[in-house]
Amino acid sequence: MNEQTKLRTIGANLPRKDAQEKVTGAAIFTDDISLPGMLQAKVLRSPHAHARVLRVDASKAQALPGVVAVATRDDFDGMSPFYGYLIKDQAVLATDRVRYIGDMVAAVAAENDATAYQALDLIEVEYEPLPSLPEIATALADDAPELFDGDKPFGVANPYGTGASGYVYPRKNVCYQFDYETGNADAFARCDHVFEDTFTFSRLQHMHLEPFVSVARWTIDELEIWSASQSPFVVRKELARVFAHPENKIRIHVPYIGGGYGAKNACKTEPLAALLARKARRPVRLRFTAEECFLTNTQHASIHRLKTGVMQDGQLIARKSEIFLNSGAYADASPLVAEKAGYRINGSYRWQHIDTKCYCVLTTTAPAGAFRGFGGTQAAWASESQIDMIAHRLGIDPYDIRMKNLLNLNEPYVPAESGIDSDLREGLSLVADRLGYRNRRRRRGRGMGLSVVVKDGGGANKPAHAFVKATTTGGVIVGSGTTEIGQGSTTALTSIAAEVLNCERDRVSLTPVDTHASPYDQGTFASSGVAIMGKAIEIAANKVKREVLAFAAEDLDCDPGDLVLQDWTIRRGNEVHPLAPMIMKHFGGPGFEFVALGYYKLPADHDAPLETKIPYWENGWGGAEVEVDEETGQIRVLQLIISSDFGRAINEGACRGQDEGGAMMGLGQALFETMVYDGDTLLTPSPLHYRVPLASDLPDRFQSILQEQGRGPGPFGTKGGGESGILTVASAIANAVEDAVGVRITDLPITPEKVLAALDRQKADGEA
Amino acid sequence: MDQVEITFLLNGVTQRRMVQPNRVLIDLLRGEFGLLGTKLGCDQAVCGACTVLADGDPVAACATFAFEIDGREVRTIEGLSEDKLHPVQQAFVDNAAFQCGYCTPGMILLAAALLDREPDPDEATIRNWLSANICRCTGYKMIVEAVQQAAAAGRGRGRAK
Repeated sequence: MNEQTKLRTIGANLPRKDAQEKVTGAAIFTDDISLPGMLQAKVLRSPHAHARVLRVDASKAQALPGVVAVATRDDFDGMSPFYGYLIKDQAVLATDRVRYIGDMVAAVAAENDATAYQALDLIEVEYEPLPSLPEIATALADDAPELFDGDKPFGVANPYGTGASGYVYPRKNVCYQFDYETGNADAFARCDHVFEDTFTFSRLQHMHLEPFVSVARWTIDELEIWSASQSPFVVRKELARVFAHPENKIRIHVPYIGGGYGAKNACKTEPLAALLARKARRPVRLRFTAEECFLTNTQHASIHRLKTGVMQDGQLIARKSEIFLNSGAYADASPLVAEKAGYRINGSYRWQHIDTKCYCVLTTTAPAGAFRGFGGTQAAWASESQIDMIAHRLGIDPYDIRMKNLLNLNEPYVPAESGIDSDLREGLSLVADRLGYRNRRRRRGRGMGLSVVVKDGGGANKPAHAFVKATTTGGVIVGSGTTEIGQGSTTALTSIAAEVLNCERDRVSLTPVDTHASPYDQGTFASSGVAIMGKAIEIAANKVKREVLAFAAEDLDCDPGDLVLQDWTIRRGNEVHPLAPMIMKHFGGPGFEFVALGYYKLPADHDAPLETKIPYWENGWGGAEVEVDEETGQIRVLQLIISSDFGRAINEGACRGQDEGGAMMGLGQALFETMVYDGDTLLTPSPLHYRVPLASDLPDRFQSILQEQGRGPGPFGTKGGGESGILTVASAIANAVEDAVGVRITDLPITPEKVLAALDRQKADGEA
Repeated sequence: MDQVEITFLLNGVTQRRMVQPNRVLIDLLRGEFGLLGTKLGCDQAVCGACTVLADGDPVAACATFAFEIDGREVRTIEGLSEDKLHPVQQAFVDNAAFQCGYCTPGMILLAAALLDREPDPDEATIRNWLSANICRCTGYKMIVEAVQQAAAAGRGRGRAK
């Protein structure tokens, strides 16, 4: 660990800034927003996985007393009703076709929920069913129909640099393909061994407890929306296009967000709420039920075919990967997830040759999108499982093979990329020690597994803007578009400003997120809040500080370098000069505010694979100890040790919470949590059927080790850490299971049934 | 449907209301009394975000009819403390035992009810009891630690009712 200077607020572990509001029930979420005259909206969804929509007749619904507006595809006059991240393929309401069970077809705004539901029953829709394509294999089959035939939706590939490329609709039912290549394929010929393995990754539901919810109203010609959105500025841009309405007349407010984990990025309820409100000429609240959330966005299930060439001594040489993501019916964030799933598949190791192809396969299931880990979780499952399998095949300890191949500090992740900014070996050693990995007593039934993952953090090419202003009496207001989704941004961002301006954190407040008033931000994602937005705030706060010191220096007729700002006083040697009187003397009784804008972005770099060097590397280290009951196949997690390098922790509680929360999501994914489909039908369509981790699922011993290696690019050496917790857990547990009983499970979740079947095969092989 | 008259104690104050027989408690609390600290999550009595205390017992307000609370005492997060935070609330602050905060009022009321019954629960009991509610953010460990702190403070007793 680096020795660090003690700071006043950073690392002081004050209570979270949002604590009082959240423990007293005073915190306001979008779900709590109510406007005068507000209507309630409900959505009619497709019962078919794939069908042509022949007729939609809403006249009877429209005539029902209490119904104020019914929206269908006939209400798109003057609109461009399609939206999506890179590919605009999802309509506000179905136009010619529906592509999954739950696709939105029509919607009603009524005086109350009951009337709205009643009206849905009166909407007549005639469908012509088409063949469904529920799985990756069926969607890629030669005889599969095209989910988007004729003219393809508008879409653009991201720009890429060295070794990387992207393609929109490269082949049937594939909406995006990301490729990455470096080194020469001849490398395989030099390898002592080439191992080919296939891994299957399950599909989680975000299950944020606050559903997707928006309240929309049109006032004259201004659209105003309150929404549970991680990316209000992106939503504003989409709405401007969809409604052909200028961005200055679209205003989005984001109160506290009740969880999102990626799901609340980009348009969800907003376009339809806006459409209904425009038609109703009254405010409309569109709140999805938990069941509807399950039909709106999910994690990507995936298949990974890895061909990995190694030397006898365990040196990794070459890897060829084919990755198929189940994108569901619409592209949503899939192209970006493919980019990351592809870019991250090789883990934190040194390679001579990499050849990766990642495909987004459209299927007739709910759209998959952004989910904590963002392709990295999928990649880590496959890669960190195979590393262990290779170690076992070569008779090398899984710890040693990692230590041998891990990238060094400052070594570029791949050519033309930034260097790794954490000591990966130090982290692995720390976790192995805490787990007791190296001195463990070996006995069948009990085993340990490790996993190390890096993920490019902070977002590729992501800019940040923030303002900081200081009032006459020293109140500090920070303006930032980062949304508080639970990660602790309110705490972190105010702490940064307090540290720079040398005041109590209590003197710093954040402006609520409002696209009319907050500085632009692309969104709260990619663990970018502290390292990227925090940097903009640090820059703005430093500007304010310089302005204040210059102002005081003029007043005191001295050099600003002689002055120190502390608690809104100016110190010169032993003299203390309160700023407020000085400001009023200069600006008059009403006073003044010092204001500065901070801007931060890494320069674009056309050589770097993703068009900019990665700002920082988010690291996860994980270790698990399991006990496998060979009679039942049941896995008991005796220990789960995870670790992350936060660079420097602004608030220990918030860091731990992110890491441990991610790890428990990973534990659920490892052992039991999954969306189960039978063909097109979701068999786990609601929280009643869908099992997420509970407190009773906590491992016997569960610890997170907070590392502060001090090399982050953020203020005071910070990094982000919102996603590292989930990355290692599934592979660490699978690796521990093999260590315990010698069977390898390659598809998630690792259920007792799969373990038993594998043990049966092991026994049969042994007897044969 | 004929309305039903109910009388109940809400956060220490007697309330009398006419309610539809199909009206659920959470709708009454949020809609009629503006007690927005009670959160609607899954609406299936699974997640526990809507937990309130009825005669000291945690109940899912999304799955309790308003008429069922006739003659009973209901406490919501707004009524758990007055000037000073309840020990469980304070422990949640001290341990950062929340993130997005959506499950937090329900979790706090659940924990307060536990400590009311068992002032000194072991960790297994705490884990078991907290398993009634879902927190998707924290990974639970810090919540367990908060409940342990509140219990250790020995101040959880007799306050939840």
